[in-house]
Amino acid sequence: MAVKFLLILLVPLLGGLVYGLERVVRARMQNRVGPPLLQPFYDMFKLLDKQPIMINSYHIVFAIMHFITLWVVVAMIILGDNLLYIIFLHLLSSIFLVLAGYSVNSVYSHMGSNRELLTIVAYEPILILISVSFYMMHGSFSIDTIYEHHTTLPSMALLFVALLLIIPIKLKKSPFDATEAHQEIVGGVEIEFSGVFFEILYMAKGIENIFVYALVILFAGDSYLLAMVLCIGVFLLINLVDNATARVKVGDLVKIVLSLGLLLSLVNLIGLRYV
Amino acid sequence: MTAYIVFATLFLPLLLAPTLLYTTKNARDYLSYFYIFIIISLSLLFFSSQLFSSIETIQLNFYHIFHTIFILIDFALLLYFLMQGWKKSDKRVALLAIVQLIFYTVLLQSTPLQNSSDILIDRVSLFMILVVNVIGGIIIIYALKYIESEAFERRKRNLFIVILFVFLSVMNLIVTTNNLEVFFLAFELTTLCSYLLIRYRGDATSNTNALVALWMNQIGGVAILIALLLSLHSYDTLYLDILLRSVDANYLLPVALLVLAAFVKGASIPFDKWLLGAMVAPTPVSAILHSATMVKIAPYLILKIAPSFSPALSMLVMLFGSFVFMSASLLALSKDYFKEILGLSTIALLAFMMAIASIGTKEAIDIALILIVFHAISKALLFLQAGILEKEFQLKYLKDISYLAKRSKLVVFFILIGFASLALPPFGAFIGKFSSIELIASMIDENILYLFSLIFILMGSVFLTLLYFKVVTKLLPSDSIISQGQQKIATTYQLTSWSLVLLLVFGVFVSAYYGYMSMTQIVLPTTLVLVTLLLFYLSNFSTAQRSKEYNCGERDSVELGAYYFDISSKYKSLIFYSSIGLILMILIVGV
Amino acid sequence: MFNLSRFRKKSPWILHYNAGSCNGCDIEILACLSPRYDLERFGVINTGNPKQSDIFLVTGPVTMRSRERIVELYMQIPEPKVVVAVGSCACTGGVFRGMYNVEDGIDRYIPVDVYIPGCASSPELIMDGVVKGLEILESKTKEIEKPKQLYKDEVVTDGIVDRSHMAQKVKK
Repeated sequence: MAVKFLLILLVPLLGGLVYGLERVVRARMQNRVGPPLLQPFYDMFKLLDKQPIMINSYHIVFAIMHFITLWVVVAMIILGDNLLYIIFLHLLSSIFLVLAGYSVNSVYSHMGSNRELLTIVAYEPILILISVSFYMMHGSFSIDTIYEHHTTLPSMALLFVALLLIIPIKLKKSPFDATEAHQEIVGGVEIEFSGVFFEILYMAKGIENIFVYALVILFAGDSYLLAMVLCIGVFLLINLVDNATARVKVGDLVKIVLSLGLLLSLVNLIGLRYV
Repeated sequence: MTAYIVFATLFLPLLLAPTLLYTTKNARDYLSYFYIFIIISLSLLFFSSQLFSSIETIQLNFYHIFHTIFILIDFALLLYFLMQGWKKSDKRVALLAIVQLIFYTVLLQSTPLQNSSDILIDRVSLFMILVVNVIGGIIIIYALKYIESEAFERRKRNLFIVILFVFLSVMNLIVTTNNLEVFFLAFELTTLCSYLLIRYRGDATSNTNALVALWMNQIGGVAILIALLLSLHSYDTLYLDILLRSVDANYLLPVALLVLAAFVKGASIPFDKWLLGAMVAPTPVSAILHSATMVKIAPYLILKIAPSFSPALSMLVMLFGSFVFMSASLLALSKDYFKEILGLSTIALLAFMMAIASIGTKEAIDIALILIVFHAISKALLFLQAGILEKEFQLKYLKDISYLAKRSKLVVFFILIGFASLALPPFGAFIGKFSSIELIASMIDENILYLFSLIFILMGSVFLTLLYFKVVTKLLPSDSIISQGQQKIATTYQLTSWSLVLLLVFGVFVSAYYGYMSMTQIVLPTTLVLVTLLLFYLSNFSTAQRSKEYNCGERDSVELGAYYFDISSKYKSLIFYSSIGLILMILIVGV
Repeated sequence: MFNLSRFRKKSPWILHYNAGSCNGCDIEILACLSPRYDLERFGVINTGNPKQSDIFLVTGPVTMRSRERIVELYMQIPEPKVVVAVGSCACTGGVFRGMYNVEDGIDRYIPVDVYIPGCASSPELIMDGVVKGLEILESKTKEIEKPKQLYKDEVVTDGIVDRSHMAQKVKK
């Protein structure tokens, strides 16, 4: 129990480490050297040292709440709660981010929020279908039950592919990073944040990493080895795809993810029922 | 003793109302506050006493004189409809009124042998009485201030409030009666109230839309009459509980026709035109009739008759409800008129409630009740804000609203809480959605079609989230100047909105007590929301400097619009015909 | 709190702005971020957002169109900040010095910390300049640094400093 609390406290740290590792791996894939591993922490200290600038208090408060809610979501995953409820709580944190984007009178901010809402339309049904299929396999939504049983990967393979399809959306990586398209809308929602306030969003992105890998680990059941293999495999795959693909427009994003994702989930669920 | 309380709850608004007809403004206001106080306390007393008593249901009978009065009122009503159809030369209204008159006279000729009590109050009716009286009362208080800013003469304003009180009585009658004839009377009386109130402003659009509402609701009345005739013919009874007990799975046509009447009243997809047209009425009408109370007759009816559904019928109603849930949310994404957005979201959530209610198990009934109560509170709050926008800021369309947070932070707060309470934890409508997904997940093993309705529900709920929060584009943005020049909202408006917010908060704790979610699951998001509000009030971040937004270095002013998503007319006709197809299948399955 | 200023040079974030240049120096700056010269190993990210950057890399002589934008962007960068003028056009006007359509170098409008010569500069020079800028960054304070023209003072209301209207348009 104490281990779990320690883990919850260390979540932003872990998120930063994962993000740093990501930057190194991406650079090596591009035949570069890349920044040092602890770069996110250097970024954090530098951002804390800047003069704070903001537009109005609304967007700051919503950003802080987005960060705290995301931390609470990961804490609840570690403590083992109802998976469906956790996904809805994660929806709450995304809505906080959307509201933060809407609180500023800036075009790019609003475009980022609109796109964020559209991507929520794309990935939310698939996440809920994944938790429903866990329910059908184990009879309960509780995460503790999922960890006690053997891995469900063979019977939920198509759903795992659907999850792989939505991971780039959540981590804001190509080809589905229309939400934070740096070259297009200059960061979308993050545009009006600077200094310590941007640090909050930066750490929130790190925690989002941890959330996604926690979802991946769920497919491994009680086997630690398989969990590690899945995590490393997904990590490498995501970064490879990020380096190799271009960005998809947000309308096409919704169409592709929904049609493919719903089809895969539907086939898998029907299979679970009859096989 | 209980009989007196029940009759008081039913008929008190009706008896008290005519006293307001010829009063001055102040007398009318104070008298109305007094009456509403009595009505709300009476219903709360009744509700709490019944909740803790050991009696499952209350059953009473009307005196014989009441039945005669009801028959006379019914004939007068149908003749009034006929006259309206003839005067306004609307063939559909006249035709349907004639059909209803014929069926009703045929009905009156026969006397059924199986009788039961006229009034049956079980847990479902208790909750509905509570919703009708409390939320109806709050909206009438709001209407007292709202009607002052309309360009009517004094007697017309008083008549508005009188009709609202009478409507409260009719609603109390409809959710407690067990006698289907009385149910039909009350059903048509709500149609009458709806017709009168929609055309209250008297201009051309109001008249046309009121007639559309009239004939569409009359279809529901005809369906109820046919159901009554069939039930008389096959089961020899006009009482709902006997009908439900004696119906067998091979001949469900009366039940299927009642389901059709519920779809009409709840404005599901083939019949959505009347609800959207009704939004031209004054806002208290939209709030009380078309979101909080009258359209709740639809899920209420399905809740009552669901225990008698066959599995096939239940499955079909579930599929229809979830399909309408998804389609109505999709159709709402292109709307610009704020009340139409709220109206389509009402249609969607009502279809969702009907879908859950059709499952018929005890958990399903609980979930549907939670959804009914919390949806009523949230939608009433949102419609009150729509009225405030209309009266204090003269804003009806979304494209005219800009930077509302600069002018009134309070209204923005209410609108945000209203939208958040329909989609996000910890509020009540979310609890209903969450529990319903758990329930459907547990039923997929029985029937694979539940999976398809689950997918419809998921898509619908996610479209609703998109719908609610894309409106915020126009509300929230404000610049770095600390807020000056906030417009003051009238006290009555503030009071009613705050009371609805308090009801929401209270409801969160009550639902924790009911045990559908664990304490942590409720307390955690509540704390998060409270921390947000606290941060807003406490900190001003005065050590941070204020700057301008990034616009690539330009210093021009930026005017922002909202996104709309319109689906092509090919899909709209697909939705229309699919829903008609599903309804026909429901009727066929009944036979 | 311990001294955080030594982390300023560990993660410099760049805002690259083209104030009317011929794009030659811009291409060289982008080449710095490519695998051969790889600025990212110093933690440099090319953000497009002034609010999240420390180093303001400017190329090109200041044209009539871009002088207001330079001041506006400069005011949106939070302190401590460093301005690096890349290429001889940004330093002194380059081949266009004295022309009717350009101002001579950006230091008419904003205070410059590092001047990088060359037409076009080479990536090695640019990296040397950026590293020199980092040393200057470490010793800067968080006072508001004002531009030299087209500005008015910040407005202080109730103890809150408002710098949103500091940059001014050119009066016709």
